[in-house]
Amino acid sequence: MTRETPNADGDAENATRRGLLRAAAGATVAGAASTAGCLSVTTPADVAARNDVSGNVAHFVGPSWLADNREDTVVLDARDPERFREQRIYRARRVPFDAITAREATDDVGEGDVPDTDAIASAFGEIGVTPDDDVLVYGASVGSRVTRVAFALAAVGHEGSIRVLNGGLSAWNGRLGTGSRDRVSPTEYEPDPAASTWVTREWLADRIGTFNGDGPGLVDVRVPEAYLAAAGSDALNADHDRHGHLPGAVDVHWVGNVAGRRMTDPGRLVRLYEVDAELDRSEPVVVYGDDNVDPTSTWLTLKAIGFEDVRLYDGGFGEWANVEGDRGRYPVETATNVVIETEGSVGGDDDGGDFSCTG
Amino acid sequence: MTGWDKQSDAPSPADRVLAVPCEGDDLLALFALDTGERLGEVPVGSHPVHATTCRGRTVVATMGDRAVTAVDASGEVTQIETGVLGPSHFAAANGELYVSCSAGDALAVIDSERLTLVDRVAVGAEPHEVAVAPDGDRLYSGSRREGVVDVVDTERHERIGAIDAGPDARVQGVALSPDGDRGYAVDQRGARVVAFETGDNSGSLSVEEPIHAEAAVGADPYDLVATGDRVFVPGRGDGVVHEFDRELDPIAVHDGFSRPVDVLEVADDWWVLDASAPRLRSLDGAVVETSAPGLVATPVSGGRIAISHYDDDRVSLVDVESGTVWTAKSPAYPFGSVVV
Repeated sequence: MTRETPNADGDAENATRRGLLRAAAGATVAGAASTAGCLSVTTPADVAARNDVSGNVAHFVGPSWLADNREDTVVLDARDPERFREQRIYRARRVPFDAITAREATDDVGEGDVPDTDAIASAFGEIGVTPDDDVLVYGASVGSRVTRVAFALAAVGHEGSIRVLNGGLSAWNGRLGTGSRDRVSPTEYEPDPAASTWVTREWLADRIGTFNGDGPGLVDVRVPEAYLAAAGSDALNADHDRHGHLPGAVDVHWVGNVAGRRMTDPGRLVRLYEVDAELDRSEPVVVYGDDNVDPTSTWLTLKAIGFEDVRLYDGGFGEWANVEGDRGRYPVETATNVVIETEGSVGGDDDGGDFSCTG
Repeated sequence: MTGWDKQSDAPSPADRVLAVPCEGDDLLALFALDTGERLGEVPVGSHPVHATTCRGRTVVATMGDRAVTAVDASGEVTQIETGVLGPSHFAAANGELYVSCSAGDALAVIDSERLTLVDRVAVGAEPHEVAVAPDGDRLYSGSRREGVVDVVDTERHERIGAIDAGPDARVQGVALSPDGDRGYAVDQRGARVVAFETGDNSGSLSVEEPIHAEAAVGADPYDLVATGDRVFVPGRGDGVVHEFDRELDPIAVHDGFSRPVDVLEVADDWWVLDASAPRLRSLDGAVVETSAPGLVATPVSGGRIAISHYDDDRVSLVDVESGTVWTAKSPAYPFGSVVV
């Protein structure tokens, strides 16, 4: 098997191909570059171009970035095994997803669940990742399966860069692989737990009454029906003792982070979080979801648009709502008017749940 | 602020102040009780709805905040964090002030001397009215969302039980008989009132039939009044007031009201406040015209009632014998007043 080398002339060839297709279709209108002149025909180069990321955006990169940096980047596939076997970016490594979502209870002090960094680091080591690798993660899109991997890397104190492929696999027009995974040599990934990437239940309980006021920002990423404990709503988790949200949290449904398979326009995201939700990018912001609603999409999105200190409450609403003991210390609110309307649309086509948030 | 310094240890009736939370303007408006002269106002936070006095301070529940506001005798204003949105109704027990956080699932316990949050007691979601047993050791809190009356041990700051008011119940008003032996709760959604036993065993979830008795009332009930031998429940939607005995056996249905919201004992008679008609009407049929419909009223000594005309931004003092004593314009949406 020979390793693919990036084609330095790829962009020029793609442009040439588009020109031929336009000419064949008789297209003469400038600016019609997104199609080949006839409806429903889109070239891979067009798709790749649409998913490129420009401006002052961290973590998210487009296919052209990956094409330029493929040799220096460890590419991780966050999708399920079936999808991975079917088609993947050439030489991508499949992330053992369940393992990198591991949590451990801090029962000795009763603070709630936190990422199990030993287990997560071990999982990355299994696929040959070392702490200083520059990593790019992709999935079917940019949903929570992908962002969860990014968070897991951050949680173990990954020193190399962490990037996400905007648009997911369908945006990639480079070489693809298929079949069983390539053999990689495991590494000993020594975690350097980055406790500043998460908060515990007790950390939150100590700050009740301050969120989105004098204290940290707090974002609930679930649907408004769950946030507001809408009676009879299917959005309510039947396993929970209580419904609603943490006091003071603002609701910004995570789908606002995505537009189909890509991240939402960064300018719109800035408006959403800084103008509508009134979050302060220079202050700590905590995001949380629920057992079946992964908040890492919002965690990474906020970091991408420049929020300096974004933390995850990984126990989520489920842990909070069902806490044993003195629930007066962990109150839940059911009413507020701080629901931010989002306009996101959900893309992705794998049943592995790139946007189902369940992994 | 003016007028506040007039307070003394033993104020004369002429010195008394009517303090009215005005929800629309986030103010506590002050009026001379005897004349209605506007004495000033105090900014108190978002959506003030009810006020009470405790240890020489006036404390205001600001529903739009996660805090209540205390105003002391020197005029100093202090916000006391509750941590949970929607402070609504007050009750005092064991020297502490309880306030229901109606947008959450907790009662905040406040040390009204030190003006600090002492504790939060978890209760059913969206607690509203609270009632305290005569000896202060038990507090009963109605949950609008969960349809229960929570029983709280005020010594331990702990919920020790919950009385299920029935399927789909939305508990609004909660009251105890003066002797504390019997509790009552209004189920707004089911248009009914229920009676429950109090005492050491009340609220035990193992009790199969915690409801002692129940009765249908007029549509859209909200509040209720319990006396030694009577229970009154206004039905806002039907314009009626149901009168029961202690066991909830019906005595009378008083009709002809527009939107009755409260029943007050003044000058040995029972008077009904009507939110859609500019009058007080007694259950015996006497009528006193008022300047506008009233939503909330506070009995004042001497056969008088202070009325908050919520929709008309007015406050008035009404004598049930002679009619309106004064009417004064208030900040927007005056609500539950207190005489200081």
